Amino acid sequence: MEGILAIWQRDLTKFFRDRARLIGSFSMPILFLLIFGGGMSGSMETMMAGNMPEGTEGFNYVEFVFPGIVAMTLLMTSIFSAMSVIEDKDFGYMKEILVSPISRVSIAIGKMLGAATIATIQGIILFFLIPFLGLSYNIMALVQVIPFMFLLGCALSGLGLLFASIIRSTQGFQLTVQILVMPMIFLSGALFPVSNMPAWMDVVVKINPVTYGVDVMKKIMIDVENIPAPVLDAMGLNLTVLGQEVTMFAEVLFIAGFAAVLVLFATFSFQRANA
Amino acid sequence: MSNPIISVKDLTKTYKQTEAVKAINFEVEEGEIFGFLGPNGAGKSTTINMICTMLKPTSGSITINGYDVKKDKDKVRASIGIIFQENTLDEKLTANENLMLHCRFYKVPKDKRQERIREVLEIVDLVEVSKQRVETFSGGMKRRLEIARGLLHYPKVLFLDEPTVGLDPQTRSHLWEYILKLKKKEGITMFLTTHYLDEAEISDRVAIMDQGDIIAIDSPTALKDQLGGDMIELSTEDNDQALREIDEKVSGAEVSVEGDTIHLKVESSDAFISSFIKTLEIPITRLNIRKPTLNDVFLAFTGRKIGDAKE
Ligand SMILES: Nc1ncnc2c1ncn2[C@@H]1O[C@H](COP(=O)(O)OP(=O)(O)O)[C@@H](O)[C@H]1O
Ligand SMILES: [Mg+2]
Repeated sequence: MEGILAIWQRDLTKFFRDRARLIGSFSMPILFLLIFGGGMSGSMETMMAGNMPEGTEGFNYVEFVFPGIVAMTLLMTSIFSAMSVIEDKDFGYMKEILVSPISRVSIAIGKMLGAATIATIQGIILFFLIPFLGLSYNIMALVQVIPFMFLLGCALSGLGLLFASIIRSTQGFQLTVQILVMPMIFLSGALFPVSNMPAWMDVVVKINPVTYGVDVMKKIMIDVENIPAPVLDAMGLNLTVLGQEVTMFAEVLFIAGFAAVLVLFATFSFQRANA
Repeated sequence: MSNPIISVKDLTKTYKQTEAVKAINFEVEEGEIFGFLGPNGAGKSTTINMICTMLKPTSGSITINGYDVKKDKDKVRASIGIIFQENTLDEKLTANENLMLHCRFYKVPKDKRQERIREVLEIVDLVEVSKQRVETFSGGMKRRLEIARGLLHYPKVLFLDEPTVGLDPQTRSHLWEYILKLKKKEGITMFLTTHYLDEAEISDRVAIMDQGDIIAIDSPTALKDQLGGDMIELSTEDNDQALREIDEKVSGAEVSVEGDTIHLKVESSDAFISSFIKTLEIPITRLNIRKPTLNDVFLAFTGRKIGDAKE
């Protein structure tokens, strides 16, 4: 326990000390908020409203896209924070960790929790932009979504740890992640609905863990109960897998399971890193 | 060997093409300073990393403090401290933070942490800079901090892999003072590697390693005595002529040449030198008589000097 805490705390301390990274990590989500929230919201609304039957009330695209952009921030921050494993190897510190009696599973959990915490903090900071975007979410909904953001952060950091154990160089890691992150965002429903995709793309959407993360965040943050079915449909908030409508419970369970499996992978890779 | 704290049997490590360590055997006694001396690439780091659970042996067995390195990794890890050949500090953190993390990794009791940190910082004279980030430290300070960190959890054995490599001579000799001070104070077993001959001299026993083999283990004095006799080094106005004369007229000396220096190994220089000087017609430009060093031991075993080995 102490070991997990020590590793977690070290990564957080380093995150807050690295001003350049701190500022840099906000530029992307803010840019996306500007583009999708401001510039493109009009045309997105028209496009998406095209799917809706005549006469139904339109919806606010910014309200739709904001949780998606928070999820995107979680994805990018989690994965990039997991790169600390590679940096620790390059700078030698990983040896200090590996030669100590901390159990390998504690190392994996500590690293995962560290990256997830950093990602959640980044996500929460975006909440402060809500008033400036002309949005209003229920405060309770925002409070409820935070634990889920942390869980999603764990799953996505686990993915980052997996990449880190396979790739092993920071440049390679950055390149791979940049190539992978974009499709993971575009094919998750974060920025536009993914309900009417061609069959092969639909498969990608359904195996993409970000899809379920985004879906849960939207379901918690957007007041789905009071939105008419056709609008929900147009927003893509009626995710089905193999013809079954997925429940939020199932989605949360899936993401927790995903995180657990990845922690085992990471543990295994720390075990293999030395003897 | 009454009470070995480390015992290594038939330890072998083969990388893809290289046989880095070839079935070596040795024991380290509790409380001694055990030195590994050998040129770069001899297999010293590979051996140390296997003993410290950081590298999986190809074959062979290792026990430390009664624990099997293969089966009881965590117990072994808790029993040892190691200063790796390369820097393993977190330079973005302060000295204090580095030490505190180490205490937590090794489960040093909470109420003892401050006291122990203070204690080890005092040993290596870093109390004043303990709140500074490590990136502001000089090479020697970083090394001292690593040594301090290795001591925090009171290990049974402290491993030091080339602790002075890359440091200037003055810092090197200071660092050894710290290490010896520590040894006196704590009485822990130390296992060190070096490719500097003078540094190996402080060991109670030295294992000389070359190309993955241990070619001799003994106290530095015994190793040198085993060689016996004295070493005479001389330069003359014409070494070729001198060698011819030595070949013809001088007996009882082993002759070798290195650069412009002729080396003679003799039973006793007192009996040898006066007649030798009279015998030689070529004028001598430089003459030096000395006892054998560990380098001569290495030379005798391998036919090479340590410095000549591949870097
Ligand atoms: N990871 C590795 N992969 C392949 N060969 C290695 C590796 N590490 C060391 N070697 C080789 O093993 C031999 C011993 O190296 P090392 O133990 O570092 O020697 P020393 O510490 O005595 O200088 C060298 O020939 C070196 O090139
Ligand atoms: Mg070495």
